[in-house]
Amino acid sequence: MKNALLPFIKHINLLYTATGNILRHKLRSMVVVLCLIAVLFPFISSVAVLEGVKAQSVISVDEGADIYVTMDLYGKNGVIPIETAGEIKKIEGVVRAVPRVIGRTYIEGRLAVLSGISDDEKPPSLNFIKGSPPGSGEVVIGKALADELKLNIGSSLSIGVRIFAIVDHRPYILKKVYRISGIFDSRSGIWTSRLVMMRMDDLIAMFEMEGFVTDIAVYIRPGSEVSVTEALQRMNPYFRIQTKGLVKSYIERGFNMRGGIFLILYTVAFALAVPAILVSSGFGLSDRKKEIGILKASGWQTHEVMEMVFFENLMLAIAGASAAFILSFIWVRLLNGFFIAQIFIAEAGSMPPFPVPSRFMPLPFILSFFFALILTIVGGMYSTWKTAIVPPAEALR
Amino acid sequence: MRDNELIRCEGVWKVYNEGRPYEVRALEDVSLRIQRGSFTLFSGPSGSGKTTLMCIIGTIHRPSRGGVYLNGKDISGFSDAALSRIRRERIGFVFQNFNLIPKLSAWENTAAPIIPLCVTERERRQRALQLLNRLGLMERAHHRPEELSGGEQQRVAIARALINDPEIIILDEPTSNIDVENISLLIGILEDLRAKGKTILASSHDESMLKRADLIFELRRGHLTGIRTP
Repeated sequence: MKNALLPFIKHINLLYTATGNILRHKLRSMVVVLCLIAVLFPFISSVAVLEGVKAQSVISVDEGADIYVTMDLYGKNGVIPIETAGEIKKIEGVVRAVPRVIGRTYIEGRLAVLSGISDDEKPPSLNFIKGSPPGSGEVVIGKALADELKLNIGSSLSIGVRIFAIVDHRPYILKKVYRISGIFDSRSGIWTSRLVMMRMDDLIAMFEMEGFVTDIAVYIRPGSEVSVTEALQRMNPYFRIQTKGLVKSYIERGFNMRGGIFLILYTVAFALAVPAILVSSGFGLSDRKKEIGILKASGWQTHEVMEMVFFENLMLAIAGASAAFILSFIWVRLLNGFFIAQIFIAEAGSMPPFPVPSRFMPLPFILSFFFALILTIVGGMYSTWKTAIVPPAEALR
Repeated sequence: MRDNELIRCEGVWKVYNEGRPYEVRALEDVSLRIQRGSFTLFSGPSGSGKTTLMCIIGTIHRPSRGGVYLNGKDISGFSDAALSRIRRERIGFVFQNFNLIPKLSAWENTAAPIIPLCVTERERRQRALQLLNRLGLMERAHHRPEELSGGEQQRVAIARALINDPEIIILDEPTSNIDVENISLLIGILEDLRAKGKTILASSHDESMLKRADLIFELRRGHLTGIRTP
């Protein structure tokens, strides 16, 4: 056994010595690990939240309709006659065609999404209501909106519908008042945080678009996407047809762009962190210089000194990346992404009122580890190498 | 090369900041020969170049010009790796200020040179403790340098220099930082090493050391000014 290990004993000795050095130079090790945490923690947390939101968006698209049909209005989505749903249902391969009304408005300066539910379509989010589903003249609102506006079940909610006059450059807005029948609870996810859900006929009336809906969600049999799309195009060349794949690609592109912008900003921060780590890992450099001089004077080879310092940096990088990962996990999962979540979820605010979706993937952790290793190597190995290649007497001077 | 010659310096110069206004000539054209198994002493006032010469012979410094021969081979142009190998296998150096690693215990300091060898931790500790025991430091083996007296620190530094069983032991001003009692202890250790055939080079002004040397080289302002026997 001992003979088999013999070629490795030298490396085991260096690893053992490196471990000892980390423990002996506690302050220096702690400063390096803290610097690594400061650099890696925002990266791991943000990527986890970004991936979580992206995954939830993709899931919601997957669980939604296969095709969304609207009318083309000068290249934009326009309303579509409600009776079109009946015609679409007749197309071979279509299982269901559900008319939907979705819009946006500002409620006391806060952006809210309005959604109408039909009797045919009960969204899964309705299972997470505190109170009861909306009846006529009633709404169910998201928790974030309810908290911000201090609204409860039974409160009245006034929603601005449209500007009906402008006097002295001041708009006068027509408002309608609804009773709050329920509030989405904290389990309902990020999409309901600023949602106002009401009966579809109420929403049609509010938008003053009788006979029309914003789109028709079409559910089809597997494998019939092409034939249904072609049939829809034949039915009306002014239909705007968005398939699930197209919607998914829009979402992914949007998140990738956000992620890209974040990565660019992070790279800038990373570049700024390099000198910080350089300074921190050079912490106690004169002691380190002397130590290297002593080891070299007693016969150590430069590559042996470098190997020992590499092991030190490797362990510090593992410790720093692991600590950053654990802290990110605690921050995102237990503290619900406090402060960080709002970078990727505009509705979140500093204290998200809903469970922040997150996904901790192995790749960001591996990347973080390599970032940490690069940082510590740049910070520690270069100065060591510079000291190790000069005659020991100079390092000891 | 003469039969018993171990070290030879030929026209060795060491110039710091060469060609600059604040150029310092630490050694100028020094040539000497040292026999195997001898006890050689370098004597001279402070700044005469003793430490620089011993560092060059000990391969922890390079000469600016001239040749240093070990067993007839000029090592002055050797690579960093080759010089490290010579230090590991053939030379033990004891610095004037001992240069112990402050965070390591006495035995760990002693064993530091053999960490990168294929020697297990247990064997390393055993060898270090044997040496410390030989030098009367067994009870101090687990103490850090700051917990040791000057004489004890010096003996740890000697133990470290001996851990690889080198044929040349170089001691820079070994008597300058220790008291009379420790000087006689040191002389005992050196005589014991000499009896084992080791070649000892030291710099000192101490009379008891001078008396025991085989040959004394006198240096002054970087020049070798005389060679004498005690």
